[in-house]
Amino acid sequence: MLNAYLLRVKAHHLMTVFIGVDVGGTFTDFSVSLPGEHREIVYKVPSTPADPDRAIVAGLRELFAQHGIAAGSVVRLAHGTTVGTNALIQRRVGKVAVVTTEGFRDLLEIRRQTRPKVYDIHMDHSVVLVPRELRIEVRERMRADGQVHVPLHEKSVEAAARKLAKEAVNCVAVCFLHAHAYPKHEQRAARILRRVLGKNVAVITSSSVYPEFREYERFSTTVLNGALLTVMDAYLARFSRAVGALGVKAAPTISQSAGGLMSIGMARRSPIRSALSGPAAGALGASYRARTAGFADVITLDVGGTSADVALLTRGEPDLVHSRTLAGFPLRLPALDVNSVGAGGGSIAWIDRDGLLKIGPHSAGAVPGPACYDLGGTEATVTDANVLLGRLNSEALLDGRMKIRADLAAAAVDRLAKRIRLDRLETAFGMVRLVAAIMVKAIRTISIERGHDPGRFALFAFGGAGPLHGSEVARELGISRVIIPPNPGILCAEGLLNSDLVADFVQTALALFSATSLARINRVGNALTARARQWFQREQVAPADRRADWSTDLRYAGQNFELSIPCPAAPLAARDLDEIAGRFHTAHEQAYGFKQVGEPIEFVSLRVKLLGVLEKPELAKLAPRAPGKPIHTRRVAIAKDAWRDAPVYRRLDLAPGQQFEGPAIIEQMDCTTPLFPGDRMRVDDWGNLVVDLAKGA
Amino acid sequence: MTSRHRSRAGNPTPTLSPIDVELLRNGLASICDEMYTAIMKSAYSTNIKERHDHSAAIFDARGRVVVQGESLPLHLASMLGLVEVVLERYGREGIRAGDMFISNDPFVGRGSHLPDVSILAPVFRDGRLALFVSNIAHHSDIGGMAPGSMAGGMTEIYQEGLRIPPVRIVAGGEIVDDVMQMILLNVRVPHERRGDYNAQIAGNRLGLRRLEELFQRWSAEQIESGTQAIIDSVARRMRTGIRDLSDGTYRFADVLDDDGMGITDIPIKVTIRIKGDEIWFDFAGSAPQVRGNMNNSFAGLQASALYALKVLIDPDGPTNHGMLDPVHITAPEASVVNASFPAATAARAQTCQRVVDVILGALARAVPDRVIAASNGANGVATFSGHGPGGKYYLYMETIGGGAGARTYKDGTDGVQVHITNTSNLPIEALESEYPLMIERYELIGDSGGAGKWRGGMGLRRVYRGLDHTLTFSGQGERAVHPPWGLLGGKSGGRSKIEVLHDNGKRQPLAIKPSSLEVPPTAVVSIETPGAGGYGNPRQRSKEKLEEDYRSGKFSAGFMKKHYAFVPKKSKRKP
Repeated sequence: MLNAYLLRVKAHHLMTVFIGVDVGGTFTDFSVSLPGEHREIVYKVPSTPADPDRAIVAGLRELFAQHGIAAGSVVRLAHGTTVGTNALIQRRVGKVAVVTTEGFRDLLEIRRQTRPKVYDIHMDHSVVLVPRELRIEVRERMRADGQVHVPLHEKSVEAAARKLAKEAVNCVAVCFLHAHAYPKHEQRAARILRRVLGKNVAVITSSSVYPEFREYERFSTTVLNGALLTVMDAYLARFSRAVGALGVKAAPTISQSAGGLMSIGMARRSPIRSALSGPAAGALGASYRARTAGFADVITLDVGGTSADVALLTRGEPDLVHSRTLAGFPLRLPALDVNSVGAGGGSIAWIDRDGLLKIGPHSAGAVPGPACYDLGGTEATVTDANVLLGRLNSEALLDGRMKIRADLAAAAVDRLAKRIRLDRLETAFGMVRLVAAIMVKAIRTISIERGHDPGRFALFAFGGAGPLHGSEVARELGISRVIIPPNPGILCAEGLLNSDLVADFVQTALALFSATSLARINRVGNALTARARQWFQREQVAPADRRADWSTDLRYAGQNFELSIPCPAAPLAARDLDEIAGRFHTAHEQAYGFKQVGEPIEFVSLRVKLLGVLEKPELAKLAPRAPGKPIHTRRVAIAKDAWRDAPVYRRLDLAPGQQFEGPAIIEQMDCTTPLFPGDRMRVDDWGNLVVDLAKGA
Repeated sequence: MTSRHRSRAGNPTPTLSPIDVELLRNGLASICDEMYTAIMKSAYSTNIKERHDHSAAIFDARGRVVVQGESLPLHLASMLGLVEVVLERYGREGIRAGDMFISNDPFVGRGSHLPDVSILAPVFRDGRLALFVSNIAHHSDIGGMAPGSMAGGMTEIYQEGLRIPPVRIVAGGEIVDDVMQMILLNVRVPHERRGDYNAQIAGNRLGLRRLEELFQRWSAEQIESGTQAIIDSVARRMRTGIRDLSDGTYRFADVLDDDGMGITDIPIKVTIRIKGDEIWFDFAGSAPQVRGNMNNSFAGLQASALYALKVLIDPDGPTNHGMLDPVHITAPEASVVNASFPAATAARAQTCQRVVDVILGALARAVPDRVIAASNGANGVATFSGHGPGGKYYLYMETIGGGAGARTYKDGTDGVQVHITNTSNLPIEALESEYPLMIERYELIGDSGGAGKWRGGMGLRRVYRGLDHTLTFSGQGERAVHPPWGLLGGKSGGRSKIEVLHDNGKRQPLAIKPSSLEVPPTAVVSIETPGAGGYGNPRQRSKEKLEEDYRSGKFSAGFMKKHYAFVPKKSKRKP
């Protein structure tokens, strides 16, 4: 198979095709770019959840046929998949065993010794993935400083291996204490296990999956990776074969939780890195579009039927976090700092026992759906409220394909309204304000709580329902500009087109952050440099396309949470330390409101993020045309007792440069954008709607 | 952004709609959560940074808790009376913008034990006192006779640590250095403690800034009527929940093992009366206060009773002063559940756990489907200190979970923190990097979950060694004598045990509340925490469950045979 990254052909020389395909629960979305022809195609086919690759192949076939695309001209096929996430949620994963330090077989089950909710004595954490009889102890023990306390007892490893040979496990995860810093015992045990168990059992170590301290989280991450190995291996092999059979020669790439892409080979080794990739692709799509259109600092708001995902991009770069949860288990791997809350179009309004109106997190989903869909749903959802307020079309959605029953929406909202003794519209307004408040809270967490003033950012609203709530959310946060991309529903697929190959490596080694520890810190740095070089080579990244961003995790000695501070590439010089320390004090003050200059700083980890820069298709510009005219007007509720006639435009009719002032409604196939009185909208060159909100509204 | 709604007849303040109240509550809760996280991430005490033994709250101008962020039930205790005390001492006119008050005393400050230090800041709006923000955190040391300020062997509060009455720690926006110096001189590892106080003060400053922003959206009248409505809404939730319970009188009693100072079999008794939407808890018959440090303050008793009630009737609701509205609590003066000055209170969490157990036991008759059997009923504490091999002094304290009681439809959870506490463990790799200690085992204890149709949760064993030095150990356990009981035919769970195991094979059993014991590096301290009681007749346990109990190695063949008459099929077992 030809390596896609070597195909660095100039787009205008011959027909080259870039394809991003994002598989969601309901639809499989395609975003196709033909830069030579200044053309972009978006396409949707129904997903095939049992074998997601079937929908991909069917969609590609249709696309190739309908648009006369030769499979051989595809130079990038980037794939966002939730196969791993779904497998874990449904627990349809490989059989994993754990070999661990004597005395600690129960560690995965004890977790952090806490219960999920303080006042809920009936709720438990997810059941541990590896049953106790498959967690086997061997004699070995490292001390925190790397001294061998108990040497590895090889016979006990062999005994464990023989026992596991009878268990038909798919994977054995070797999880020893302190292995993040001192992996020798893990490596030796893994060699013995491989020798006894043979090729058909994957043997992985916690130190190779993610060498960070905090054993429970590292072991959990290792087990999650092990559980996905067989599932993802089978899926990716099938997917590669299927697209290969279509005649696509480019090596496909897979989207990662930390944003960016990885090769199929890396995805098969580290499947867990794809597990939280869904929301990441959307944030990257927003980043690329916003930067192209000249906005570097944006907050993204992606609202679907059940949830809202928000992320913050400074100078186009999203923040990373290093711990998330997946299917109820902690995952210590870098992921984009995307905050998800249960607030979407299908979120159900209800009255709590205290008599207050609440929204979500339960959602009516696609079935039975909002009351107004007439698919059996009877509970009032956010979509029903938007229909009653005239913001959503009260007759039909999806270009007329889906009929809307406003009377059913009214009946559902009336039932609530009666119980809180408000009228129908007050209640509908309340619902819309409450759902916006939930989104606002989610954005506060990633902006204000991280020391960023949201007022300096633009809000980039997408997903089926993001543009509906964008301006309300923006106003609450003091944001004055909202951007809505041309195809809000498929931004994730588009984001895949505009990503680079990415890898993250980390190495922990606790040390005082001072010149006396420089040798120790640089040993860690050298190890990372070697891994970086190896990765670039394996992924065939040309020297000119290599980027490496280094950072160091620091804290005041005695604290337990680290701040990631950017630093020069390893090895560090003594004079670098002062400057990095200065940045740390400042960051601490920004994050927590105080600094302790003079207190010793502790070095915890060194991180490097590697980029293999890929060529990206330019975003197509919107072709000039005559400014679109409204197709009709409809009554829209602006505030309580304030109805206005708003002209309704079709998004496809809008021309670059066209501008008008609200009130107005802009409708497209899967999305509606309301403009409120005084809001000024302009269509930019790329077809984005740029809305400047009215001041003081 | 908010609309004023019709006023209730005869009520001059505008009332907010149910939507506005929810919006305001959301806004205040966000602020509490943010304060909580900021303190956790910047603090030094293990109790705060890793085990999250801290809380944040916002009070109205009268001193009633309006919102308490994600936090521990026991901290609500210290919150409930704090502002009242400050108001009594200083009066409204004595409280100025830029002040912060610090307090930890169970008697004059209505706290619950000395290591929990509260810092409170008034919030002014247009020159008027509008609200208070406050946070409370468990410091690793507050001075006193023993490192960690939690050890047994003390008989009055003066021995337990520094008593801080409500005094200004910040005035005019500046830290009052005289007070700070006074505190720091009295606590161990002062430079770390300074970091903790800084984190708490910064947390309040953050809350003050956020409230300023909130004030731009809500008028003073809206906040006043809104906070009232938020308190009322919680009271309403409680009343609705109590109304669902059958009227009647319910009794239960249990005994604490000992107070660590020679008093044994200490009764805790409760009589609960439910009528309509109100509930009365009377602890008459509970033991007089004890010499040891197991005494609970009235605030701690309130918090425990409110916790037990809330888990039964409204686990998802917010916590605030409204919870007290339909609840009446009485207890004899100078008793182990309502201690008087100068009782020692450091280990009051043990007693709080037992108060929860007796309340659940009493209400088993009223709501058998919602209560659970007795959980480990303890708050196992281990404190280690000494001079490590490098000569540097260290001090480390942690608490250990145990079994959680079996439920009516599923087993109890193994090895977990229960009821009034939910603090996380410290990762072994973090612990061993920071202290000259080694954890040699951390595991579930075989056969410790009480048998039953649904079995009780299992206790934990944690084994500690001092590396290359002799350490000083103090511990605190419960239920070494009186095991956690089962319900409706369920059996008792395993008892707790503390031992020193010498490398030469010598076993040295310890009392369950050992104080300041020296342990050489050639021995380990082994702590076993209690399991929990089972629920229902063991003979009704399903075959699948029995096979799983055995296959997992959690229960021995002997135990399975004795309690369940279960005989395993051959060679099914993996060690």
